[in-house]
Amino acid sequence: MTSRPFTTRRYVVTVLGGFVTWLVVAGAAVVVGGRLWSSGSAAQLHNLLWLRLEWVATASAVGAALALSGLALQALLRNPLAEPYILGVSGGAGLAYILASLFLSMAAAPAAAVLGAMATVGLVYAIARRRGRLEPYTLLLAGVILNAFYGAAIMLVTAVVRPNQRGEIAVWMMGTISHFGPQWTLIGLVALLAVAGGVLFAFLAKGFNLVAVGEDTAGALGVRVHRLRLVTFVAASLLAGVSVALAGPIGFVGLIVPHVLRMILGPDHRRLVPAALFTGAAFLVLADLAACLWEGTANRAVPVGVLTAMCGGPFFIYLLRTRWRKRMAVR
Amino acid sequence: MAETDGRAMTTGPYIKAANLRFAYAPGDPVLAGLSMSAGAGRLTCVLGPNGSGKTTLLKILARLLAPSGGTVRLGGRPIAAYRRSDFARRVAYVPQETLAAVGFTVMETVLMGRSPHTGALGFESEADWRAAEDALRVTETARFADRDLAELSGGERQRVIVARALAQEPDLVLLDEPTSFLDIRHQHGIYGLLARLVRDEGRTVIAVSHDLNLASAYADDLVLLACGEVAAAGPPEAVIRPEVLEPVYETPVEVRTDEATGRPLVLPRPPR
Repeated sequence: MTSRPFTTRRYVVTVLGGFVTWLVVAGAAVVVGGRLWSSGSAAQLHNLLWLRLEWVATASAVGAALALSGLALQALLRNPLAEPYILGVSGGAGLAYILASLFLSMAAAPAAAVLGAMATVGLVYAIARRRGRLEPYTLLLAGVILNAFYGAAIMLVTAVVRPNQRGEIAVWMMGTISHFGPQWTLIGLVALLAVAGGVLFAFLAKGFNLVAVGEDTAGALGVRVHRLRLVTFVAASLLAGVSVALAGPIGFVGLIVPHVLRMILGPDHRRLVPAALFTGAAFLVLADLAACLWEGTANRAVPVGVLTAMCGGPFFIYLLRTRWRKRMAVR
Repeated sequence: MAETDGRAMTTGPYIKAANLRFAYAPGDPVLAGLSMSAGAGRLTCVLGPNGSGKTTLLKILARLLAPSGGTVRLGGRPIAAYRRSDFARRVAYVPQETLAAVGFTVMETVLMGRSPHTGALGFESEADWRAAEDALRVTETARFADRDLAELSGGERQRVIVARALAQEPDLVLLDEPTSFLDIRHQHGIYGLLARLVRDEGRTVIAVSHDLNLASAYADDLVLLACGEVAAAGPPEAVIRPEVLEPVYETPVEVRTDEATGRPLVLPRPPR
């Protein structure tokens, strides 16, 4: 591969290319989903299209937020396994969401999810902080352990609630786009934060590249490494938290999308950040469309989180067997 | 203000550290009031036994560590007074190890050296590209430009990391044991390159080294550290002497003159 300078023109091409791809995918998903179920009147079709629009918007916002969150956490922790789902952030948000919906009200649940995500971040951060610095490996381990704890806590809650609530919790925990009433405010908030996260990470991308090759190198090239870590960690967790609030914990998007993009675009975060924003959105729209079409034919609910996890597992093994092994050999 | 821009300074110390104190753990000082300086347009090697504070000193000079006491002046101005990007445009730092298995090509790696010169989004201009190409040429690594850094040998990779430092277009290049993993051919290759940077490009170079003979052969000045203080400083003839080295390294040595270079040569002797 020939190296070429990272110019304004190439950047604009990447951003526009990503945007158009997402637009086409999203547009197609609205129309395909809407047409498939429309058997009746124009009014029915109109309603269906609106519903499709809402789901596609949800999937786009959540997909973009999760892909960006995963990409940033991987850069921050210099670990290809990092992802909000694995780091316990999604679990913390999930537990808070479930507790709030059971004991407070459904309306309080989304805010609780964000708080749960942030509390997890604070906890992980406090555990992993040594002498004012963030230790990447302790951070990863703390996240993994908290995630296991949250998993157990959610199971405990599920075990003691009434049977009808048990089903709701189980479905929600699978990660689903299409099961809740209209919530345009929350969709708008997630979309806004995803775009803001994309812009923020675009400005941090240069630092991500430098931190990837070494902390001292980054520091000597003018990066405030500690501040970069803190800002990235908080932003990535916030993105994961609002995603869970909107669609439940959807796993593997933050893992698959950044890894596929790295295979195609290389390791440069200046290109990966805008690409992750749009590809993450397009990916979850497609995954949700697949889930909806399946639902349409089999007339059963197929949560999109199950679908992404089922794609993600084998894909992850493929990565492990091919790409990483080659890298380890080099090391 | 007459001259705060270090670039215009060609004589006298370019960087001057006074009374530096540093400890990683309280009560266990690594640097205990260390003072040293490095002349503009000279190759200075920092020597000393393991744990004498060489790397710590270099990191303080690079502003990667803040000393608990003392000051460092660069071109007459305290380094803490420089803006971050401003400092990074003047001072390049080559760490002992660089993570190579990340997937960046050699050209991309060298272009990272342009980071302090590019804007917030990191767009690269013609000038950035040219500086990277110059750095590749000077370090004789241009033919690897499109290869993955991880595919290169240790010696080639170290040249690329030096190229990244040069792409920064710094006045001062700090290197932490640049030859520690290299065979003798590449050791001389790297030091020959550093000497050329000083001679042909007028840069100031400070390299931490374990190899007394390599340092003696190439350096203009040596700074010998012992227990966080300067035991001796000056031209190789003044530092590479048995009466200076033996108490610092706690082992007998014999010093001869290398007839090829006219520089002193150290031969360790078995303890008496």
